[in-house]
Amino acid sequence: MNLRSTRHQASDEATALELFHLREWTDGLPVVIPTEERVEALLAGVELEPDVVIGEIGPGQATVEKVAINAVMAGCRPEHFPVVLAAVRAVGDPEFDIDNMQSTTHGLGPVIIVNGPAREVCGPIASGWGALGPGHRANASIGRALRLCLMNIGGARPGHGDMAALGQPGKFTCCLAEDEEGSPFSPLHTSFGYDADQSAVTLVGVDAPHSVMMQTNDDDPEAHERILRVVAGAIAIPGANNTQIGNGPVIVVLNPVHAGVLASAGLTRDDVIERLVKLAVTPNSTMRGWATKRAFRNDDAHLPALRGPEDIVLIVAGGGGMYSAVFSGGLAGSTHPVHAPIDFDFSCELPGPLVPSP
Amino acid sequence: MRDGAIFAKAGLPSIAIVTEAFVELAAFTAEAVGMPAVPRCVLPHPCSGTGDENLARVAHEAAPGIIDLLEGRTR
Repeated sequence: MNLRSTRHQASDEATALELFHLREWTDGLPVVIPTEERVEALLAGVELEPDVVIGEIGPGQATVEKVAINAVMAGCRPEHFPVVLAAVRAVGDPEFDIDNMQSTTHGLGPVIIVNGPAREVCGPIASGWGALGPGHRANASIGRALRLCLMNIGGARPGHGDMAALGQPGKFTCCLAEDEEGSPFSPLHTSFGYDADQSAVTLVGVDAPHSVMMQTNDDDPEAHERILRVVAGAIAIPGANNTQIGNGPVIVVLNPVHAGVLASAGLTRDDVIERLVKLAVTPNSTMRGWATKRAFRNDDAHLPALRGPEDIVLIVAGGGGMYSAVFSGGLAGSTHPVHAPIDFDFSCELPGPLVPSP
Repeated sequence: MRDGAIFAKAGLPSIAIVTEAFVELAAFTAEAVGMPAVPRCVLPHPCSGTGDENLARVAHEAAPGIIDLLEGRTR
């Protein structure tokens, strides 16, 4: 296979790892050293030549080869690679405005949401218990691969190419699947025109997730309204860009119990989104108390956190119970959610594990 | 920075105004858009939220340099 990247020599893997840290090619954690053999193993699973350009990330061209190198470093298996390629293709969509996300002082990071058969075939990519937390190899590796691409191809180094004042831990990695089987709603990607049996990634640039606790009660006929109000309140929190500026798409992750209560009340995905847009507001008088400029520029009694239904990406995921989550949006970067199909054809046998099984 | 490059490519005189903390990013972005020489004016960081009096002082001090750059004079 004709790989074009510069080869570096090191006496052993430990020395190579130190070289990677020294050159600032890592996210601060150890990486898998991208040997030629490992990179070729990932490339074997896709039908694209290594020099094909998947997208532009700032000053860098994301070729299949460069993305594969970063995916190896992140710990990806060959079956994960098509999802990484789709995510890189999505961030290259001008609608995502990746340059703005890279350079904003806001701590935005991309969240990768996976729908369709790729959740299993290219994973398994977790959608249940702890889907946003540690312990899931595909979730962790795929999200981290995108981050390493943003750093190594896109030049996002803290304080230089990445101007986030603080950043947030989700910028290391953030990838999950939608729990389509546990959801009473149609899968997210079908709202973008995909068939349910197609696979796609949806990317949104957002803040860290905010937990939304709501204990429901089957005897409570108003339970669905209470869930909507609490979730809307989490969207319109004081410090969010959405509240302060009134801009940016948010992600609402409903756990299956909360989603079930809403669906049992006869609400569809669109109904839930429409209600949340109306409920996620802040009284003007409250905002004037914070001296927020936005409040003094108009006389509306309530100021919305969202521009409209298109500002909510709603999915179902997580262990069933009383915790859902909201990711706030941002003014810069990812002014619109983007999506891309996941192309995989594993008709030929993929290379086996790179290390022996225990 | 990107806006400055877009204007420059359209043939319109433009100066990118950046604060000190963004100088490296500005150079990086200018390089990325293929216009490393886009003129820029550097202000102290941070500027926003430092009060009207300070902002007026910063603007007063920066303006002559911006005019020089627009008129093709280097300082």
